[in-house]
Amino acid sequence: MRRTNRHVAVALITILLISAFALPVFAQGDEGDATIQAEPCAEPGDLTMWVWDENWAAIIGDAIDQWTADYCAGASVDLQVQPWGQYWDLLKTSASGGDMPDVFNMSQDRFFFYADNDAVLDLQPYWDQYGVDTTVWGTGLIDPYRWGEAQDLYAGPVNWDTIAIMYNKDMFDAAGVEYPTADWTWDDFAEKATALTNPEADQYGALVYMEYQAGYPNWIAATGTTPVVNAERTECTLDDEGSLEALNFLRGLLDEGAMPTVSTVGGSSADDAFSFFASGKVAMVTAGSWKLPDAVDQLTFNWDVVQLPKNPTTERSRSILHAVGYVASARTENPDLAANLILYLVSDEGAKFFAEGSGVSPANPNPDLQQIWVDSFGDADVNIQAYIDAMQDSQGVTVFDEIWDAMNSELVVQIFDLGVPVEDAVADTCAFIDTQLEAQ
Amino acid sequence: MLCVVPPSATGVESCYLIMSSALLRFLGPTPLSRRKALWGIALVAPNTLGLFFFFGIPVLMAFSTSLQEWNAIKPATFIGLDNFTRLADDPTFWNALENTFKLLLMTVPAEIALALGVAILLNQPLAGRSFFRAAYFLPVVTSTVAASVVWTWIFQPRYGIINSTLSLFGVGEIKWLTEPSLALIPVAVVAIWQRVGFDMVLFLAGLQSIPGVLYEAALIDGASTWQRFRHVTLPMLSPTTFLVTVLAVVNAFQIFDQVYIMTLRTVPGGVGGSATTLTYFLYRRAFTNSEFGYASAVALVLFVIILAVTIIQLRTQRYWVYYESEEG
Repeated sequence: MRRTNRHVAVALITILLISAFALPVFAQGDEGDATIQAEPCAEPGDLTMWVWDENWAAIIGDAIDQWTADYCAGASVDLQVQPWGQYWDLLKTSASGGDMPDVFNMSQDRFFFYADNDAVLDLQPYWDQYGVDTTVWGTGLIDPYRWGEAQDLYAGPVNWDTIAIMYNKDMFDAAGVEYPTADWTWDDFAEKATALTNPEADQYGALVYMEYQAGYPNWIAATGTTPVVNAERTECTLDDEGSLEALNFLRGLLDEGAMPTVSTVGGSSADDAFSFFASGKVAMVTAGSWKLPDAVDQLTFNWDVVQLPKNPTTERSRSILHAVGYVASARTENPDLAANLILYLVSDEGAKFFAEGSGVSPANPNPDLQQIWVDSFGDADVNIQAYIDAMQDSQGVTVFDEIWDAMNSELVVQIFDLGVPVEDAVADTCAFIDTQLEAQ
Repeated sequence: MLCVVPPSATGVESCYLIMSSALLRFLGPTPLSRRKALWGIALVAPNTLGLFFFFGIPVLMAFSTSLQEWNAIKPATFIGLDNFTRLADDPTFWNALENTFKLLLMTVPAEIALALGVAILLNQPLAGRSFFRAAYFLPVVTSTVAASVVWTWIFQPRYGIINSTLSLFGVGEIKWLTEPSLALIPVAVVAIWQRVGFDMVLFLAGLQSIPGVLYEAALIDGASTWQRFRHVTLPMLSPTTFLVTVLAVVNAFQIFDQVYIMTLRTVPGGVGGSATTLTYFLYRRAFTNSEFGYASAVALVLFVIILAVTIIQLRTQRYWVYYESEEG
C-alpha cells in the first residue's frame, strides 16, 4: 500500500514538473498562435459528406477545397445537402442500407441513438494522435458528444449557439420603458413585460416559452435545476421544484395577458416566435444566436440583444447551449482520412470559413475567430457580445430524440395554450419521459 | 398461369407443359397475334417491373420485418409475433385506429355527396362549365403539402380567415389545431377538399354514360325531377358510386400528409395523439422511435383492415349496384 502511494506521489510530482515547464510554452502561444492546428493527411482518398444547411454546405465546400489544396492533395469529397426536413429520416435509411456518409453533421439530441448503436466512429484516438487538447472547447459543446466508459469524444464541434433576449427598442420607447441591462432579474423582466403589453393594439410584452433550446428550459436552468432530464439521463426533472417555479412564473405572465398563447402565435417553435417578434407584435423574445443573420436582415425596427434575466434566488441566468458536430461513420472505409478532414474543419484555418461567412459562431474558441464572427455583422449596432457572455454560465443538452415532441410541443401547448395547470401537464409529460428513459 | 406443383418429377414436367401451352394460348393463335401480344407485354414491362421492385418487394419485406425487432442500424432479431401482441396492448395504437375510423366516417360520405352534387350541377349546360370543372379538379393536382400549409393558415385560431369570419358572429377563438376534440376536423376538411374533384370526374363520366332515352321514357311516364334522379340516375350511376366508394375508403385509410403538415407547427400528431392516424402512427414509430419491426406490424394490420373492408364492399355490392348488361 505504502509502495503504491509512493509511486503515485512520484508520478504526480513528475506530472507537476512537466506541466510547470510546459505551461509557459502554451502561455507564450496565447495570442495569434493556433488553438487547433490542422495536419496533413496520411493518404488521400474519396469521402462522402452530408450536411443539412445550404449556407453551411457552401462554406464547408470552400473549406474542403482549401483542405485538399493545403493538406490533402488528391483527396475528393462528395458534399451533399439533405434538407433538415428529411435529414434524419434519410440518415436512418442510409444506415439501414449500410451506406452512411463517411462524414456528417450531428445534433446533440440525436447523438445518443447513433452512439448507442455503434454507428459513429470514436474520434478520441485521433484527437490524441493529433495532440488536440479537447478541453479548449467548453464542456457544454462537447460533453453531449462523449460516449462510453472512457468518455471519449466522438465529434468535432462545428459551432456554438446560446440564447439571449432580443427586444424591440421602438416598443420600449413608445411605452416609456427603460431598456434592460445584463444584471436584470425575473422581477424586472415581468414588470417590463406587463408594462409593454397593450391588448388594444394587439401587442404583447414577451414571448419566451417556446420549445426546448430557445424556450422554457433556459428559465428552469436558471433555478439550478437541470432542465427536462437530469444529466445522467435517469429521471425527468420537470416536476422538480425549480422546474415548477420557472414554469409557473412563465404561466403567470401568460395568464396576465403579457404573453400570447401558442394559438395566437400560430406555432410552438422558436421560428414561430421569431416571426411573431419580427411582425412587431411582441416586445421581447428569446432567440438563439443562430437567428442573428435573419434578425439583421429582416427586422424593420430598432432592436437590441440582452442576456437572459437572472433568477432572483440563485442570481444566475443560464442559457441552453448547443453545438452541431462533425462525426464520422463507424463503417467508413477511410477512418484516418475522415478524421483528418474533421480535424481541418474544426481547426483555426477551417473554422475561419464559418466565422467569416455564415453568421454562425464557430466552436473553436480562438478569440480572433470569435472577433471575426462578431465583425461579420458589419455595422449592425447590436450587443452581439451578450451571446458570447451567455456561454460563461450555460447548460448543455440532456434530452434525446424520442422525448422531443412530448417536452417541446405537447407540454408547451398544454400549459401555454390549452390552459392545463402546470402541475398536471408536468405529471403527464414526466410519466411519458420516464417510460422512455426506462426503455433506454 | 398459376400451377400447383405436385411433389414429383413428372408433376414438374406436366406443370411446365401446362404453363407453356397456357403462355402460347395467352399470346394468341397466330404469329401475328403473338407479335402484337409481345409488343404489348414489352410496353407494360417497365411499369410492371418498377411496380414489382419498388412496391412488390418492399411489401414482401414488410412481412418479414414485422416479425423482427429492428432499429435500422443494428442487425434485426427474430421475435415471432411479439410485435403484434405488443400492438394489442398499446393504447396509442388503438387511439390511432379509432382516429382512422373517425376520419373515414367524416370524409367518405361527405366527399361522395359533395362530388355527386357538383357532378350533377356541372353536367347541366351551364355557362363556364369547363372552367368550373377545372376549378373543382384543381385541388386534386395541387400538392397535398402545399395545400395543407395554406389550410393551416386558414384554420389559424387568432388570425385565420375561418375564426376571423366566425368572430363577426360573436364566436370566440376556436383552437382548431390544438384542442384535442377538434383536431380531426381540419384534417378531414382538407382531405375532402382534395378528393371531391377526383370523385366528381368519375361521376361525370358515369352521368354521361346514362342513355338519354331512359330520361325521355321517365318524362313520358310523368316522373318528377326527384323521381328521375331517384329511379334513373341513382341506379344507373351505382357502378360508378361503387368504384368511388371503394377508392374513397382506401384513400381515407391512408390519410397522412394532412396530419403531418397541419400538426407540425403545434404538436406533431395532435395533443395526446388526437390527430394521429394509423399511417402517421406507423411513420412516427419507424422514423422517430426507430422501431421498424413494430412499424411494419402496423402496416400489415392496416393492410388486413383495408383488405377486409374492401372484400365486404365487394360482397355487398350486389344488393345495391345495378349493372345494365346483367339484367337488361
